[in-house]
Amino acid sequence: MPKGFTQLNYYEVLDIKPDAMAFEIRHAYNAALQVYQPGSLASYSFFPEDERQEILSLVETAYRTLISDQARKDYNEELIRRGELDVRKEAASAAKKPVSIFNIRRNPVAKVALTNNVTLKNKINQSQLIGDILAQNELCGADLKKIRMELGVLTEQIAQETKIRHDHLCSMEEDHVARLPAAVFLKGFVKSYLKCLSLEPVEELSARYMDTVARLPQK
Amino acid sequence: MAYIWPIGGGKGGSGKSFLTSSLGRLSAGLGKRTLVIDLDLGAANLHTLVGVPYPKKGFSDFIRKKILRLEDTVVETPFENLFLISGAHDNFDIANLPYEQKIKTLRAIMKLDYDSVLLDLGAGTSFNTLDFFLISQHGIFITTPEPTSIENVYRLIRSIYFRRIRYCFNVTDFKALEDEVVIQFGDGSFNKPECMIKVIADVYPEKYEQLQDVFSAFRFKLIINQVRKHDNAALGMQMSRMIEKHLGLHIEFAGNVAYDDHVHDAICQRVSFLDRYPCTRTACDLHEVGKQIVQPGGQQLMFRYL
Ligand SMILES: Nc1ncnc2c1ncn2[C@@H]1O[C@H](COP(=O)(O)OP(=O)(O)O)[C@@H](O)[C@H]1O
Ligand SMILES: [Mg+2]
Repeated sequence: MPKGFTQLNYYEVLDIKPDAMAFEIRHAYNAALQVYQPGSLASYSFFPEDERQEILSLVETAYRTLISDQARKDYNEELIRRGELDVRKEAASAAKKPVSIFNIRRNPVAKVALTNNVTLKNKINQSQLIGDILAQNELCGADLKKIRMELGVLTEQIAQETKIRHDHLCSMEEDHVARLPAAVFLKGFVKSYLKCLSLEPVEELSARYMDTVARLPQK
Repeated sequence: MAYIWPIGGGKGGSGKSFLTSSLGRLSAGLGKRTLVIDLDLGAANLHTLVGVPYPKKGFSDFIRKKILRLEDTVVETPFENLFLISGAHDNFDIANLPYEQKIKTLRAIMKLDYDSVLLDLGAGTSFNTLDFFLISQHGIFITTPEPTSIENVYRLIRSIYFRRIRYCFNVTDFKALEDEVVIQFGDGSFNKPECMIKVIADVYPEKYEQLQDVFSAFRFKLIINQVRKHDNAALGMQMSRMIEKHLGLHIEFAGNVAYDDHVHDAICQRVSFLDRYPCTRTACDLHEVGKQIVQPGGQQLMFRYL
């Protein structure tokens, strides 16, 4: 029998595990507010107004209860009495394994932005285009861009992963010499870039890139 | 047997046809024999998007029995491996397709000999649209980050949920269920599948089990199209979570597709957006989403109500 939202326990309401820490609770609370607030797009038209209010007040109560140590302890005891929380595991309070009390049948798949290394490596090995580029004596920014496009990776993703500013990445890919950072930094950037795309050998390729760039005319 | 990807969405203009054509192109580009079918009869324009301005034949010939086999209504497109069944020349709504014709069409689509088949379903929640959506478990929902579009896509999702429940019951039993739902949950609940499923769990436990199996076999996906810079990028995840939590349906968020004026330009110039503007964010997004469509995990389970 599926549970209605109002029958969920507070942990389920906030989508957190029974051993969640304070910062996780706060985070979950904020996430829930974003979804259920009256102005939220994600829940637009999903509920009638009174139901939304009911949910919001439940979220509020759940948060207030779980964020306070004493109230949470009392609530846990109540859950244990109701048989929703495992006593034994709860007693070992530093339990490493969280107790699963969720009635969620299928876990939503979290999407990871960047393809993992194995996939990238496979693609690199199988791509004629990338093989050709890496076989050249020169390696300029435009070549890096071609490789990146071939791998289906966005500059935004690289920026996120390497923390390199996005406009730097663009200048690199466009071989915009005047806008490139100083060589010492550039070398670090290109290494991170190569690592991020799983391109190897990093040392050799970065040296090749630095050589190529040094010979580019100033635009 | 082909993988079938029904593509539906709340509203006209959300980008169903654009995405159908783009995903079709990507699939074909990987060497898969890909067929796109325009079932948005009455507002057909898939042919234009895949570079066939004047299709010589199409779906209407099959409906009007001028062409007996659905596979014979297929036309080639300028793109290798990409084929089309056009919906042009149809001035009736898919909603009005008579029952026998619908069953005949559904069966014919299932038998088509392509690697992937993409169905452009058009807006609306007519029973026929829902039935085409439920032809496979790989349905894709498209919405834009606008309240109007989201409202419609939620309505569509609920209608599909209901429709699938409806298959398990005859008219009288279903009516009785509807009455029971209103008795237990009040007036506002008649359009809430989540309430109905609770009643079913209670009164038809076997059917409930059966439905759980059906629903957990669904591999529905959600794409947010026309995402602008300032839009909330987390919207898709949030919606997917809402649907999971409150409807108990798992719809995987497949990604955002950025808004780009070049889409308009490409359509006006009647060139393929992916060819003309391959380096745009939107093109990258399409590739990203396309990957999940082109390399599906698991096997296609055909929906067996026919
Ligand atoms: N990602 C996008 N960026 C910019 N414009 C888009 C995008 N997707 C769709 N459009 C615009 O929306 C219009 C409607 O798209 P279309 O695919 O015909 O919608 P539908 O089939 O859902 O009615 C297109 O003509 C195009 O100009
Ligand atoms: Mg359309």
